[in-house]
Amino acid sequence: MREGGIGGAVTRRQLLAMIGTCAGSAAMYQAMSSLGFAAQSSFKGPTPLSPARPGASVLILGAGIAGMVAAYELRKAGYRVQVLEYNARAGGRNWTLRGGDRYVELGGLAQECRFDPGLYINPGPWRLSHHHRGMLHYCKLLGVALEPFIQTNYQAYLHNSRAFGGVPQRYRTVRADYQGHVAELLAKATRAKALDDAVSAEDQERLLESLQEWGALDGSYRYVKGLTSSEVRGYDVSPGGGLSARPVYSEPVQLPELLGSGLWQGMLLAENYDMQTTMFQPVGGMGMVGQAFARELGSLIRYNAKVIDIAQDERGVSVTFEDTSQSTSRQTAHADWCVCTIPLSILGQIPMKVGAPLADAIAAVPYAASVKVGLQFKRRFWEEDEQIYGGITYTDLPISNISYPNYGLFSSGKGVLLGGYLFGLDAAEFTAMSPQERVAKAVEYGSRIHPQYTAEFENGISVAWHRSPFTLGCFGMWTEEARAKHYDNLCAIDGRIVLAGEHASYMPAWQEGALTSSLDAIGRLHRRALEQGASS
Amino acid sequence: MTLVTRLRNRAARAAMAAVLALAAGSARPDSTTTVGMFGAGHLESTSGEVIYQQICRGCHMPDGRGASGAGHYPALAGDRALRSAQFTALTLIEGRRNMPAFGGKSQEGFAYIVPTLDDEQIAAVTNYVRTHFDNHFKGTISAAEVKALRRPH
Repeated sequence: MREGGIGGAVTRRQLLAMIGTCAGSAAMYQAMSSLGFAAQSSFKGPTPLSPARPGASVLILGAGIAGMVAAYELRKAGYRVQVLEYNARAGGRNWTLRGGDRYVELGGLAQECRFDPGLYINPGPWRLSHHHRGMLHYCKLLGVALEPFIQTNYQAYLHNSRAFGGVPQRYRTVRADYQGHVAELLAKATRAKALDDAVSAEDQERLLESLQEWGALDGSYRYVKGLTSSEVRGYDVSPGGGLSARPVYSEPVQLPELLGSGLWQGMLLAENYDMQTTMFQPVGGMGMVGQAFARELGSLIRYNAKVIDIAQDERGVSVTFEDTSQSTSRQTAHADWCVCTIPLSILGQIPMKVGAPLADAIAAVPYAASVKVGLQFKRRFWEEDEQIYGGITYTDLPISNISYPNYGLFSSGKGVLLGGYLFGLDAAEFTAMSPQERVAKAVEYGSRIHPQYTAEFENGISVAWHRSPFTLGCFGMWTEEARAKHYDNLCAIDGRIVLAGEHASYMPAWQEGALTSSLDAIGRLHRRALEQGASS
Repeated sequence: MTLVTRLRNRAARAAMAAVLALAAGSARPDSTTTVGMFGAGHLESTSGEVIYQQICRGCHMPDGRGASGAGHYPALAGDRALRSAQFTALTLIEGRRNMPAFGGKSQEGFAYIVPTLDDEQIAAVTNYVRTHFDNHFKGTISAAEVKALRRPH
């Protein structure tokens, strides 16, 4: 994906410096990652842009993460900046739904969020990786407090409605049993000399030792019921103090049943680079990031502005828009340059004066379906009854996820779960339902994992991203073919316009993709602006 | 919503599933032989009406009249482009702009897969949208004709 074939003529340090100068800090950071440097570096934020030409202006379309990062940095460099935003709020997909919020989806169906104070769901992005350094940087800069996002919870469930009689299994036991059986098999193969060709005798000893520890095997390299395995998979009766708590060991699930259940698939999700612990979430909801940017940018953002035409010539950019809050009368904003972060699903429908390579790229990316459902319950039964504190249960049911709040732990009173996070066919089907039907289905499915749902459910809200008026989909889905043909053209500056957003990144759907895309784009645009000047 | 129960293999939610779907190619994937958590997503139904209600309706709306926000979903009601059954079927197979391809195109990356429709299903939903929502376009398309439209992979 990245530049390869680096010759010996330049050192890596020189090369990185060149990339940093020419392409901006995001590109440098990406190059550093690919060269293995970034692991040791501490990302201190974007390289400051040198001063802009006096009077130079930039029009930014969209006040999501990409647009607001661009506005923030370009203003700092001295540009006159204006941002046009379709919604009446900033953030775009960076968004939190709280009690009192009203959301009207495409088709006109409205929902009132009736969560209690302090409770929320994030319909869009909800977690930040520890290596999403751009997002972490701006959170710190803007005073957005972060707290841990619990991705992996050993006490949460893996659930397959067609395995174990539909009874959810603890992540802990699935992981322990999978690891234990694999270790036992590998130890067996080693001791049967099946690995003699591949592993030296000395290493076989070390391998056996490590398998014994890693898989919680007994003295005979077996994964069986006993103290060793129970110390990993848990006990039927946990050890305690005094006379009343003699431990009772638990019985491992046998390998065929475990493999057949497919539950190991759910175990692997948290192994993904983007999901590895530690992850973070903003205190009070992901939307705090967008709100913080909006406070910082203040009156630079014009809300309720629906873009209907994007024109440019050798002197500048002219964007026609309607103020949807007042009238349908058209207005035109002018600037020397334009950073356009409008999702391609919408941009492809807006008349836009750009060349064929960019126009073709905009038309080449379909948008993914996704649905989230938030459910409020009278009490935090997952904590009180099941000792599940934060984290995620994965299921084969259409809801796919039940995510427990990572905030307000141990508080008495109500709680809000993410009661569904759907993709693919399930998301398409849920999108086609009414908001109330989605909530009802999420309660119905979730009650098969937590029977308490039935008695404790109070209210819910759902967001189907293909029904979102401001995105018409969740995120850009690239095929390898489309990426090879169109991605570079999508990111390239066309005249006075450059695109940014998650769709212009190698990190689809992640805010970090939107953010680094924006830093990369404005670095290139700034360089061109300095070269060409503003002649208007 | 009893329709939900008609879905057997669940849509993908993980990288593992993405791999499975790639292997499935353009044909309708075989029913999952294990009871894995994440199956490739496909509909069982070959009814054009059911397919419309489970997939198309999300964007084109229950009445086939589309919707409008910052952008819009086109109305299928009275859409002259539907005069051609071939064009309609091809749009389903290949996708068009922000509309995903339902013909079994592999997607890069993780955790998302577009439901795959086979020739019979694409023919059925093509014939459905051309004769509902006050549309009265002449002629139908068969599964064999849909098959002939597919690009070789």
